[in-house]
Amino acid sequence: MHPDPNLEILMARYQQGDYDAATDLIEQTGPRLHRFFLAQSQSRQDADDLLQETWLRIHKVRHTFRAGEPALPWFYAIARHVRVDHYRKSLSTAVGQRQLEAMANEVAAVPRESDHADGLDALLAPLSASQREVIEMMKVAGMSLEEVARATSSSVGSVKQKVHRAYKKLRVTMSGAGFRTGQSGEQS
Amino acid sequence: MKDQEIDGLLKKAGRAPHDLAPEILQRVADSIKPSLHPVRPLPPTCVMTCGLVLVCAAVSLAGAARAGFFGLEKMDFLERSLIFPVLVLLAWLAGSEFAHAMIPGSLRRISSRALLGFGCAALLILFAFLFRDYHTDHFFSIGIVCLLTGFLHAIPAALLGWLVLRRGFAVNSVSAGLAAGTLGGLAGVGVLELHCPNFQAAHVLVWHVAVVPLSGAAGAFVAWMLRSWAGFGSQERITPE
Repeated sequence: MHPDPNLEILMARYQQGDYDAATDLIEQTGPRLHRFFLAQSQSRQDADDLLQETWLRIHKVRHTFRAGEPALPWFYAIARHVRVDHYRKSLSTAVGQRQLEAMANEVAAVPRESDHADGLDALLAPLSASQREVIEMMKVAGMSLEEVARATSSSVGSVKQKVHRAYKKLRVTMSGAGFRTGQSGEQS
Repeated sequence: MKDQEIDGLLKKAGRAPHDLAPEILQRVADSIKPSLHPVRPLPPTCVMTCGLVLVCAAVSLAGAARAGFFGLEKMDFLERSLIFPVLVLLAWLAGSEFAHAMIPGSLRRISSRALLGFGCAALLILFAFLFRDYHTDHFFSIGIVCLLTGFLHAIPAALLGWLVLRRGFAVNSVSAGLAAGTLGGLAGVGVLELHCPNFQAAHVLVWHVAVVPLSGAAGAFVAWMLRSWAGFGSQERITPE
């Protein structure tokens, strides 16, 4: 997906203090970010809280968006930061980054509440948190490899590798479960 | 199962309608309304990088001016024409990565860890090529002094760099701290190259280069500490069940 010019124009107006642009941005990005949080968190309440926290952070650092840069990776980078921060604050003090990621993976592996166990959740369930994150950004948010790299502060090569591994895992899982096109989330 | 089929499944699942209560979006809009005023966007990355390189150069020159330019005076033309351009180049690279680390959604061409590794490797190769005196006199006693001198100059360089980028926002503060420390370390090496007249290969290769990883590690540690304090100070600690 190419950078969304509409989002970038709205961002520029938002930086100038335009309330209508801000509400348009909230309406356009809100559901995407909410879905992003829902794919990573355990409950809808968590996702709702994270979305509001993210927007407060976005508002606070809106000056860091620069014209000419794609807006979507900027939103996702902040959303990702808020999510990691949220987990970090929820965990005990002596947990290092590596342990933290492992715990996030464990959290991701816990069966979801039925209220948001939609087709996408079922499809992405076998993936680790970081793989789910990049697949969600690419296939649901429609971001390009470079945009995902920007959002995750990593290199394009690293994103490619994660996608490759995720697809490998999905191929095995879906073949085993008998998924077919047109029957997402269901077993044939 | 083919990749195209997986693509199709994911896209179809992703297109499924997502219900999000409109009240939540309205609440967000209401919460930002009172503080919605025009803001000045950050300057281009090259401007911020320029500022950081100038800070590095200023700290190096000020440090050497205070201690004396004995190293510069002892250097021959080849040493001068290789060491300082390489230091400026590395400072530019570190400054650019530090600036990118302070802008959300910025494309990182090299990670902060790779930057630190690359900086150290480049300095080691350069110094190994230029300095061929393999004698070692007072290796530890003189070396520690150089290491401390470099590190003590790295601290103000990193802090001033942080001041230059104070309006930025680090989505990964440890990575940003590592980049800031690396940049400061390069300023510290600059001071040592201008000031230290000890051109023994072992001394330069070990103690001068060591300023960069030491400063980088210190920067990452400080950022980690600040993040931990900010995180645990502001919220109740939740014990996992």
